[in-house]
Amino acid sequence: MSNAIQADKVMDLKGLPCPMPVVKVSKGIKEVEVGQILEAQTTDPGSLTDFPAWARTSGNEIVDTIQENGVIRIFIKRNV
Amino acid sequence: MDAKTRDDLLQLFQSKLNRAMTYYLETCTRCGVCTTACHVYQSMPQAKYIAAYRAEIVRRIYKKYFKGQGKVWPSYGEAKELTEMALEELYEAAYSCTGCRRCMVYCPFGIDTQMIMSIAKLLLVGAHAEPEILTLLADTSIEKGKSIEFFKEGFLQGVKNLEQQVVEKWKLEAEGKTVIPVDVEGADLLYVALAGAHSIIPAAAVFNAAGENWTLSFFEAVNFGAFVGDPTKTKLILDRIVNEAKRLKVKEVCICECGTAYRVMKQLSGKQPFEVSSVTEVHARYIREGRIKLDKSRFQGPVTYHDPCQIARNGGILEEPRYILQHLTDDYREMAPDPRYNYCCGGGGGLVALGEETLDFRMKSARVKAEQVQKTGAAILATACENCHTQLENLNHHYKLGMNVQFLTSMVADALVI
Repeated sequence: MSNAIQADKVMDLKGLPCPMPVVKVSKGIKEVEVGQILEAQTTDPGSLTDFPAWARTSGNEIVDTIQENGVIRIFIKRNV
Repeated sequence: MDAKTRDDLLQLFQSKLNRAMTYYLETCTRCGVCTTACHVYQSMPQAKYIAAYRAEIVRRIYKKYFKGQGKVWPSYGEAKELTEMALEELYEAAYSCTGCRRCMVYCPFGIDTQMIMSIAKLLLVGAHAEPEILTLLADTSIEKGKSIEFFKEGFLQGVKNLEQQVVEKWKLEAEGKTVIPVDVEGADLLYVALAGAHSIIPAAAVFNAAGENWTLSFFEAVNFGAFVGDPTKTKLILDRIVNEAKRLKVKEVCICECGTAYRVMKQLSGKQPFEVSSVTEVHARYIREGRIKLDKSRFQGPVTYHDPCQIARNGGILEEPRYILQHLTDDYREMAPDPRYNYCCGGGGGLVALGEETLDFRMKSARVKAEQVQKTGAAILATACENCHTQLENLNHHYKLGMNVQFLTSMVADALVI
């Protein structure tokens, strides 16, 4: 296990159909305070391009991404 | 609504008034044939769910602002002002229509309600009254197109991590090839998948088994600009793939199991130096040419197939999935009455993408679809669209159908004789 950033909320998005990972993160980010971290766990390689693009569009920030044991963990800081 | 906003919206309306649209707006005789064609009306018989009623909301605004009679004598021409309340009606009409075009095949004049609803959706976009999440998804896709260089490495690593799963299941390592090639200039076929591993892994297995010279796109196939009804965003999203295909000099762009993605690429990309095909067409071709063989004993029990509206009725792909299924089962059960008149799953037009927000409506409005599926007595319900698959899984759960909902591509991959 890597020394991951401590998330304030974790969302399990593994195996969800398109476009649910981004839809759910868009809602989930509103459930943490500005400055807090949301961790999204997925298994979809597309998330590695979708989430950074979503973050740029929505004004949030990807602060770390970890790929381990087939799971992609994306740490998103709420900025707006 | 202030005058400037209304003027801006009417300019958007005007931009949609080509010859076909004018015909659709001026032709309806209210014969009522479309009434029971709509799965929403059949499931929930309310006037607001009649296709002609939906169209009439747009048509009355057209009469008010684009017809002399409506301008001079609005009450006689049943003309209607474009107001905030009208926008609410347009929203309900546009987002209770899945764009399946079943009404169009019944209409004696061939009126395309989906096209008319595209005016409603464009006006909602212009008024910033569209579903926010659809615009966010469209903007995300556009941003990805602009900034792909920043995201490439992560994607390539993510794809690399999937390769072992392809090898483990389909034992392709012996050939020593890259299992999931990406960004290969000179490949014959560019496969455009969705974000999910389930859209990439089985397709990779089939391409490799067929000996295809293929490459995976950096972009996802789905076009959220089309779902939200924004022509500018639709084109920007589409152009990412067109430009990638041109850069790689591929001969064919193969769209994954995503109905809207296929229809948009096939019908809106214009003349290009490559062919556009659906993955279903490509798999049927591999079987026909003897490039892959399938084991019929892989799946037990009767199988039925749901035709995704954007691939079948609106895309013309009706025979290929049935040809594939002939090689997967001896007990295929067709839905009644006919594939051309198949009911929509109830999740099209962006409704599935809106998630739980639309779940109750999607379940109630697709009752006739659930009944149609159940009557086949099939154990396996196959389909070739991600949207349809999600909706059919939801229906399966909601109506306790007890079916095994499958992607056709996954069935082909699972039945491969290697």
